[in-house]
Amino acid sequence: MSAAAIINEDQRDCYQELTNVAMGQAADRLARLLNAYVVLPIPKISVIENSDLNMALQGATSDSSVSAVCQGFIGAGISGEAMLMFNDASFASLASLMKYSGPLTQAAELELLMDTASVLIGACIHGIGDQLEIVFNQGHPVVLGQHCGMADLVAYGNNGWDKALAIEIHYTIEHVNIECELLLLFTEESVRALNKKIDYLLD
Amino acid sequence: MSDKSEADTIKDIHWLMDILQNIDVGLVVLDRNYEVQLWNAFMEGHSGVSPQLAKGKNLFSLFPDLDEAWFKQKAEPVFQLKTRTFTIWEQRPYLFHFRNSRPITGRSKFMYQNTSIIPLESVTRQADHLCVIIYDVTDTAVGKLDISRANQTLSEIQVRDSLTGLMNKSAWLTVLESYYASQKQGCLLLLDMDHFRDLNHALSHQQCDEILRRIGAGLKTLGDEQHAARFGGEIFSVILAEKEAEEAMQIAEKLRRSVFSLGKNSQHTISASIGVAERLADTPSASEWLSNADKALYHAKESGRNRTSLFKR
Repeated sequence: MSAAAIINEDQRDCYQELTNVAMGQAADRLARLLNAYVVLPIPKISVIENSDLNMALQGATSDSSVSAVCQGFIGAGISGEAMLMFNDASFASLASLMKYSGPLTQAAELELLMDTASVLIGACIHGIGDQLEIVFNQGHPVVLGQHCGMADLVAYGNNGWDKALAIEIHYTIEHVNIECELLLLFTEESVRALNKKIDYLLD
Repeated sequence: MSDKSEADTIKDIHWLMDILQNIDVGLVVLDRNYEVQLWNAFMEGHSGVSPQLAKGKNLFSLFPDLDEAWFKQKAEPVFQLKTRTFTIWEQRPYLFHFRNSRPITGRSKFMYQNTSIIPLESVTRQADHLCVIIYDVTDTAVGKLDISRANQTLSEIQVRDSLTGLMNKSAWLTVLESYYASQKQGCLLLLDMDHFRDLNHALSHQQCDEILRRIGAGLKTLGDEQHAARFGGEIFSVILAEKEAEEAMQIAEKLRRSVFSLGKNSQHTISASIGVAERLADTPSASEWLSNADKALYHAKESGRNRTSLFKR
């Protein structure tokens, strides 16, 4: 069977709809945080294999130099990880929107990355959780890298999963040069549990 | 019946309070004015501030060295957007300055901390309180810092000569290639000690090492933009960036004289020969440029040592 077999078409549509609502809430919070208009994207739902993760990341942004944080979440036997990537060109605009004064050092960029990640990741996974009546607990964010190549972000190695459900959301802010990519990854066992919840909604 | 369940509930709450008191993470509940409402045993233990003292006090007046503006930037979205925020030790090592509490296994002067700031909703669904959870991540942080220091040392070892602190040959050759590729003008300088083997026999190895170290130190004073290296043994190489032949020869002569002066209070003669090669319009490659400098060095040796030669075709 193909990799896509862990979810069917109806379930995929439902994930799409869930994500639309959740990322709308997340975009609203981002807009309030930055006081700027956030362009609403269309999320991309796909099933990826472990070996495709790096390729999926490569496709996520065209930029060679990125900074990223990751944050795990868990609730009701469903777990996953969220990853937020910024192209490094975004930080100057982000700093001015968030009214950060002072030089844009690596430390200052980390603050911006963490503040935005808290809001976006938190809103998005709670948005999904609310619709499915799951309370997700978030772990601590982990910095994957600053100013590094996409290939350096994720270390190779079998980390105990084969297939995962990937939700990719590409946020842009109107009129300024800010681009970021939010990736939510649910592992196969979590997708089974999620499917049950989804099927309940579909019925 | 209801009495019993009420007693059970009270018992549950007692247990929960016990757990909150004894859990090995810091718990602080703050109200909208950043006044402390809850302060658990972890916080008391590490700060020495008792819950009775902390209760109702403004957090920033209790801990004046806590960066108020920074903390509020993390806490305000919790109140306003009811979202969780996080701080990690890579941003700032700690929120509360807690001294190392473990005299034997503690390897840091203070506790590294990660924190989660979570909204606490009232019955009206307003987030009018927040809870700060403080995790001790000292061991993780110290381990990570150790690794990054070790990696840095390893990459230093790969490019540095340990005796003089100058670049080693392979690192210098890479710099030479990219300097050549950048189309910039300049001169190459090769310095070789005269009769160093005899000197090695006459003096101790330590004394010879000291001579090499002194020459290395002298080359460092040329500045970082003049890329100096210990090319190997008693040979040093320098890229005199954007220097013309005349100026390069002056620098070379000064170097030769200062090497010679190292032996002025000794019964042994210490001297060096130097070859200089300017990058000419038709110098075809970095290696050809280097071999020109080598020819000039050979010429200096042939014509009596302790002298400086400029490459001429």
